[in-house]
Amino acid sequence: MKGLVSVMGRELRAFFFSPLAYIVAALLLLVNGLVFWLIVSYLNDPRAQFGAPLELFFGQTIYFWLVLVFVAPVLTMRLLSEERRSGTIEVLMTAPVTAGQVVVGKYLAALLFYCFLWLPTVAYPLLLAYFEEVDWGPILAGYLGVLGIGAVFLAVGLLASSLTKSQLVAAILTFAMLIPLFTFGLLENLFNDESVRQMLSYLNLWQHMEEFGKGIVDTRRLVYYFSATVLFVFLSARALESRKWR
Amino acid sequence: MIDAQGLTRRYGEFAAVDGISFNVDEGEIVGMLGPNGAGKTTTLRMITGFLPPTEGHLTVAGKDLFSDPVAARREVGYLPENVALYPEMRVSEYLRYRAMLEGMSRNEAKQRIPETVESCFLEEVEKQIIGTLSKGYRQRVGLAAAILHHPSVLVLDEPTVGLDPKQIIAIRELIRELGHKQTLLLSSHILPEVELLCDRVIIIDRGRIIAEGSPQELRESWIGNTILRVGLKGGPTDALGVLGALPGVVDVEVLDAETGSYRLECAKDADPRQAVFETAKQRGWVMLELSEERASLEDVFVRLTTQEPSDGSARVAVDDATAAEVPS
Repeated sequence: MKGLVSVMGRELRAFFFSPLAYIVAALLLLVNGLVFWLIVSYLNDPRAQFGAPLELFFGQTIYFWLVLVFVAPVLTMRLLSEERRSGTIEVLMTAPVTAGQVVVGKYLAALLFYCFLWLPTVAYPLLLAYFEEVDWGPILAGYLGVLGIGAVFLAVGLLASSLTKSQLVAAILTFAMLIPLFTFGLLENLFNDESVRQMLSYLNLWQHMEEFGKGIVDTRRLVYYFSATVLFVFLSARALESRKWR
Repeated sequence: MIDAQGLTRRYGEFAAVDGISFNVDEGEIVGMLGPNGAGKTTTLRMITGFLPPTEGHLTVAGKDLFSDPVAARREVGYLPENVALYPEMRVSEYLRYRAMLEGMSRNEAKQRIPETVESCFLEEVEKQIIGTLSKGYRQRVGLAAAILHHPSVLVLDEPTVGLDPKQIIAIRELIRELGHKQTLLLSSHILPEVELLCDRVIIIDRGRIIAEGSPQELRESWIGNTILRVGLKGGPTDALGVLGALPGVVDVEVLDAETGSYRLECAKDADPRQAVFETAKQRGWVMLELSEERASLEDVFVRLTTQEPSDGSARVAVDDATAAEVPS
């Protein structure tokens, strides 16, 4: 446990010390702020349909996904590949800690930093609450979706980072894995077979976020995120250990 | 403290380490010597638990590295060859991180970090960012981190490589001091260093142990014949024949005819110095020099590692390794 905490602590510190993290944070806020402003001004138009701004914010814009698909590789590409490139992995793997502790510690650090990135967006609902009544349920559900999907994406990134020494390769690999993961659902309508459609619909992340934005928390979604995250983190630990046998 | 039996590590078909067996006793300083690519680093990596052996049995401080890796790793302090540190951390932060990674409590760490910082002479740079440190300081930070948890076995891979002579002397002093308290296994391709620091030397080449013993023993058993150097003013014309005929002299070679410098190879137990002197006196030669050439461990090393491998596959084993790079 101590090993896990120390790995996590060091990793978090590294996040806060790297300029890249601040660039990502600034970019995320810029895009999200812009989207939020657009939505609010759109809804302000008397001709617009009736709607809750954050429902649209979480569930209806492409920007949410664009940012997420870029943020995950950037946050995770360094995690394990940099240790291998610089050789610090040798210290880490000769210390009395297991590969599992190392991987989980690093993953949790990335997840915490990801949460930190989203923290400023809490200002949006607070801002709305200042002017009018806000339904907090769907907003919380939206953040749950952000956390769940983020958790999966970061786990995918962690796995990519465990497979290569190069940060660039890790980032591209993450990107390559995230694109199908996130577009699966869009293929739904291409199939006539009912069972295939159902399976793709289960994986349809767009639909998930749409639901979360409306305040629908479907436990199937949570099970999906949780199991996918555990799977990818587990595979990362295996990949880190397998390095020994090659 | 270290017990290795038939240690083998293969990369595909190639055996980097091929059936090495050795022991290191408590409190001993053992040096592993070999040309580059001999398998030193691979062996040390197996001992520290970074690489599992393909075959063989390995225990450190009584703990099996295969069945109980975490406990075994706790017993070992390791300074890898290319001391890799996190450049964005401060020295004190890094040491605190390593202390926690080794499972120390906060109080323990609070006590040991200043101790270690002092013994590695790091006080001046304690608050500096590692990325800004010189190679010598980095090496010391790596060493400090390796000894922080008072491991029962300390493994140092080429601890003085890439340092300037002054830094080398400082690190060596530190190692010698540590050696009195801990079991120490270090690798090097610098001979005087090993000769200076170690109680026992293991010479490895092409993944096998080719000689083992104290520097003294190795010198005695592998050097062979004593060499005398004789200097005779003017180089008398008959000197070559006369010297060659002396009892105990196996071979004479003229090193420099003008200054009259000769090299005498003598039978193992013979000491013809007196005979040389008396001959010179008798013949009226002016003797300028009579000295015994002390064979160094370097000669042993070169002799051992340049032999053709038994399977006939020729490979140049000695490259820059033979040069005694720095004054000891």
